[in-house]
This record gives sequence, C-alpha cells and structure tokens, in this order.
Amino acid sequence: MTSLLIWTCAISVVTACACSICGVYLVAKREALISDGLGHAVLPGIIVGFLIFADRNSPWLLIFAAFTGLGMVIFFQLLRRTKLVDVDASLGIVFSAMFSGGVIISSQNLRNIHFHPECIIDGNIAAAALDTLIIGGYDLGPRTFWVMLTVLAILIFFVVLLYKEMNVMSFDELFAKGIHLHPNRIHMIWLGLVSLTTVCAFETAGSILVVALMIAPPAAAYLLSKGMLDFFIWSGLIAVVSALAGVFLGYNLDISPAGPIACCAGISFLSVALFAPKQGLISKIIKRSKQRHLLFKKIFLRAMEQNHSGRLDDSNLLWTRREQDLVVRQCLRERLVIEQNGDYIITNLGLEEATSTNFEFFK
Amino acid sequence: MLATPTAREINLLTDLFEDYTFRVVLFGTSIIGACSGGVGCFAYLRKQSLIGDVISHSSLLGIMVLFLLSYLLTGTGSKSLWILMPGALLAGTSALLLTRLLFNHTKLKSDTSLGVMLAIFFGSGVMLLRWVQRASDPVIPGRRGLNDYLFGMAAAMTTDDLWMIGSLAIAATLTLMLCWKEFKIYVFDSTFTHSIGYRTTLIDNLLLITLVIAIVIGIQAVGVVLMIALLITPASTARQWTKSLGSMVILSAMIGVFSCAVGCTISANYANMPTGPVIVLVATAIFLFSLLFAPQRGIIARALARRKYSLSIDRHQPSEEVI
Repeated sequence: MTSLLIWTCAISVVTACACSICGVYLVAKREALISDGLGHAVLPGIIVGFLIFADRNSPWLLIFAAFTGLGMVIFFQLLRRTKLVDVDASLGIVFSAMFSGGVIISSQNLRNIHFHPECIIDGNIAAAALDTLIIGGYDLGPRTFWVMLTVLAILIFFVVLLYKEMNVMSFDELFAKGIHLHPNRIHMIWLGLVSLTTVCAFETAGSILVVALMIAPPAAAYLLSKGMLDFFIWSGLIAVVSALAGVFLGYNLDISPAGPIACCAGISFLSVALFAPKQGLISKIIKRSKQRHLLFKKIFLRAMEQNHSGRLDDSNLLWTRREQDLVVRQCLRERLVIEQNGDYIITNLGLEEATSTNFEFFK
Repeated sequence: MLATPTAREINLLTDLFEDYTFRVVLFGTSIIGACSGGVGCFAYLRKQSLIGDVISHSSLLGIMVLFLLSYLLTGTGSKSLWILMPGALLAGTSALLLTRLLFNHTKLKSDTSLGVMLAIFFGSGVMLLRWVQRASDPVIPGRRGLNDYLFGMAAAMTTDDLWMIGSLAIAATLTLMLCWKEFKIYVFDSTFTHSIGYRTTLIDNLLLITLVIAIVIGIQAVGVVLMIALLITPASTARQWTKSLGSMVILSAMIGVFSCAVGCTISANYANMPTGPVIVLVATAIFLFSLLFAPQRGIIARALARRKYSLSIDRHQPSEEVI
C-alpha cells in the first residue's frame, strides 16, 4: 500500500512539473485558456485512437490524440482568421463541439471499458499506479510514470534549446517576427508539445487536473517572480507542493487525487495572490491607501502654502468632510500645521514638506 | 430522395410526444435554450464569451455545497432545484467577482484570472462530488444522479424543476426587456455610456446576474462542462445572419430552442446518449451551416463577392494603349 502511495506521489509530481512548464509560456503569452480548450479537445482523439489501435498503451494513440489537440488549435486559428466570430467565442465553440463528439462516441462504444465518461473529468491516478511496466522481468514501476517522465524530459529539452527564442516570442511577438525567429512555427511546435502533455496527463489525471496545473501554479509564480528563470522555478515548486498536498488529502478523504490536487493548486494560488510581498492583493491595497494619504497630505499642504495668509480656506479643496478631517488630523499629529483660534496655520516644517519634491513613495 | 418514415417510426414519435415526462423535459430544455440563446448574445457582444465557461464550471461547487448542507440538516441529500439553484447562483457570482478582483488589483491578465478561478471552483466541486460518491462511509442518501450535473441529464427533470427553471427564465427575460436600452448602449460602447451619465457598474452587474441566471438554469439539462456552448454557439450563429441587436437576440433564442428540442428528442430515442453533447452538436451543425451559407457575411457569399469584384476590375482595366 505504501509503495502504491509513493508511486501515486511520483506520478503526480512529474505530471505537475510537466504541466507547470507548459503553463509558464501559456500564461506569459496571455493564452492560458488554450489549456482549457486542449483539456477538452483531446478527448475525441483519445477515444477514436483507442477504437483504432485497440490498445490504450500504444504510443501511436498518444501521438494521434496530440495531433487532435493541435487540430483544435488550427481550427480555432482558422475560425479566428475569418473574423466572422469573436476570438473567445471561436475557442469556446471549437472545443465544446469536439468534446461533445468525444463524449458521445465514448458513451456509445466504450461504456463498459476503460473510458467511463466520468473518468474524463478527473481520471484515476491511483489506478494508473497499479499498471506497472515490466521489462525483462524487472518491475520498473507504473508505466504512466515513465511516460510522464519522458514528456517532462522532452519539454525541458525544448525549453533549454529554445529558451531565448521562446522568451522573445512570449513578450514581443512583432519583434520576434522582425528578427526572423519564425514565431508562428515555434509556437505551433510548442502547442503540439503542450497537447502531447495534455494527452499523457489526461489518461491519469483527467481534464480538470490538467487545466488546474497548467494555470494555477504559473499564475501564482507570475505574481512572485521577475525573471523568466524565477518564473519556472516558482511555478515548478508550487506545482510540486500542491501535487504532494493533494495526494495526501485525496488519500485521507479516500477519493481520486485529481480533484484534491486541483483544489490545493487553487488554494496555493489564492494564498500567493493574497499575501505575495509586492504583487499580492493585501500589499497592493495597503500600498494604494498609503499613497492616497500621502497624496492628500501633499495637496493639502500645497493649498495651505498657496493661500497667502497660511490659513485653511474650505472652498479650496473639493473633498468630503471625512477625507478633510483625516488629512488635518494627520498633519496636526506630524506638526505640519497648528491650530490657532479655530483656524489652521501652516508651520515652517509644513512649508518645507509642501515644497519638497520627495516622491519616493510613488515609485 | 428523402426516406419516407415507416408507420412504426411515426408511431414512436407520436408516442413520445404524448408522454407526459417527455413533454416536461422538452418544454424545460426549450426554455433553457431560449434563455441562454438570448442572454448569450450580450456575452458574445461584450467579448466575454469565456466568462460563461467559468460561471458554469463554478456552479458545480455551489451545487455540491448546498447538497451537503441539505444532507447535514435533514439527513438526506436533496436534489431539488429549489435548494441547489441558489448555491449555483451564489458560486457563479462569487467566481465572477473574484475574477474581477484579481483582474483589477493584480497584474494577472484576464485569461489567467478566468482560468485560475475555473480551476479552483471546478476542482473543489469535483473533489466534493467524489467525496460524496466514494465507496466508504458515510453513505449519503440521495447521492445517485449527481454525476448528471457534469454532462446533463434532461430526462431527470421534474415538473417542480420546470417551475423553478421557468420562473428564473422569466426573471432573466424581464430584466433583459426592462433594461434593453441600457444593455444595448453598454454592450456597444461602455465608455460612452459612462460619459453620458449612466451608472455603468450597475448595468454591468445586472448584465452579469442575468448571465449567471441563464447559465445556472441550464446546468441540469446540459451539464456544467458544455453549458458554454449553449450560450455562445447560438449567438455566434445569429450574428452571421443579422446586423441588428433585436433580431440577433430573437434569432439566437430560436436557434437555442431548436437545438435543445432536437437534441432532447434524439437523446430520448437512443440509449446511452447524454443530452448535453447532442444539443451542442446540433447547435454546432447549425453554426457551421450559417458560417458557410449566410447571405452577406457567409464564407461562400464573401468568396463569390470577391470573385465578382475581381472580374469587374479585370473588365475595367485600362488597356495598355491608354497608359
């Protein structure tokens, strides 16, 4: 039992790494939802491939299904190029039609075999861990693990080989075109690899896990990193942590780990989105309110300085009573103005502050 | 030559239409088709088609949470739409609000924020679904048939559900009719709408709530995974045939009704035929037909026009002597 658990962890970790590498460029290139489309569209490929090759371990099935995924992308591009349909809508129409076809074929022909329609959503990693690969009498562990490891190796090889080109292309496609990098060709090859990853992960993990692992860890990493290398490292780290946490959660709840892994990836994304040091929601909100206060103080002091008597004239500032009170109280506390006979008078310190050009906070 | 239906086939069809359950299901799915077709136009024109995907996937979490709540309170999990629907509405709306929060306050782009919310809500929903269905204790009464929310099972619709679906659809239609002018101007130019003094946030929220309602009522029949197609495919189809918003909405609603009715009939006639995918394929077939054959925008019409134009240019080309 424990060895089964370890293999389940290993499969999940390798799948998570592969998906998160795919996701990095999808998120950077603003086409994260293509992974959602691929997650649905490879289904007919897998089903038809299974009907043709009659062996679900056949590598031809994987390649056939990967080409179906690529076909989805091509259909989508064609439909988009006619300019008759909105971009988002064309993606939605193509993948939902292909997915429907897949569901119907599978429920007509394969009801009692491996592809139960419910398995499409979250697959079954634990069952995949039982299907071992035996070569020359040696038990090498689950077949899926080796398949995913191969896919991961291919992905890493491709990224290392074309690291520079991919980066240029992700951030400035026109420039990439200008220096003859053939962004379209590279992009198509890359989407083919993403499609292959989706297919391989689909059998064990189902469409939901593929989509979750391709979007959530890279999205979290996007908030934490500055460079491309950071991006990969954070994304992989978050994916691995959520995969492990998800497997244990699934084990304790006694359910298939795909749902819990997606859930953990989501939770880790949410916590990063909330608490990330610079890009997180909380720090952004705090920073924004601090900037607001500082700006109000500056405006207030400037208004006082411009007003020759150095007294506050209510009509100068079109603020609400509350905002005004807030600013006045803050300035009084910092001794930038003083109160005299119910009027506010600016001090020397306040004058200095008003004329200073210290805008450090606004950076 | 058309194949004439045999007497037995005619009999089958009339039997089907006399069947009370089937009439309920047919009527229910037609309402759903009309509602999502009509409201889908606005999502399509706002260029927010994929928001529908996020809303529909997210509602699974709401459904599961309310199912578990009803189990905790009464001892039996309820599958009545009156109980599950508010959960779905709430989950869909909160997914939308969170997406907007992420998009407005972090540097994430819209597609990533949408995708991440889809993953979180749908992942948690599937997790709860699998927990409810697991083999070990506690066995939750009433858990059979929950899977149908994934791909839709229109046959499970009851008269009670029909009332729920009908009233929500009427609410959505009324909102659409009352705010027609505002929605129209907002969909085409939101900045202009804001500048002439309309409260755009209010309009946006109303539009999104209508969208959530239209999506949520369809989940039982079509399923969370494919609801997006029912929302955008009729709208994209209708867009090919017309230029005015009013006729687009009506045409799209009609296409929605037609694909739902046909899909529903096919699915009732064959064993192991999930309703949702059949409806989607019917709608996609109509879409492809329109894409090719629509009178002005259609691919064939445009190719013909281009050919005619190039011929006329050839004809009017000045001869070399003039040059």
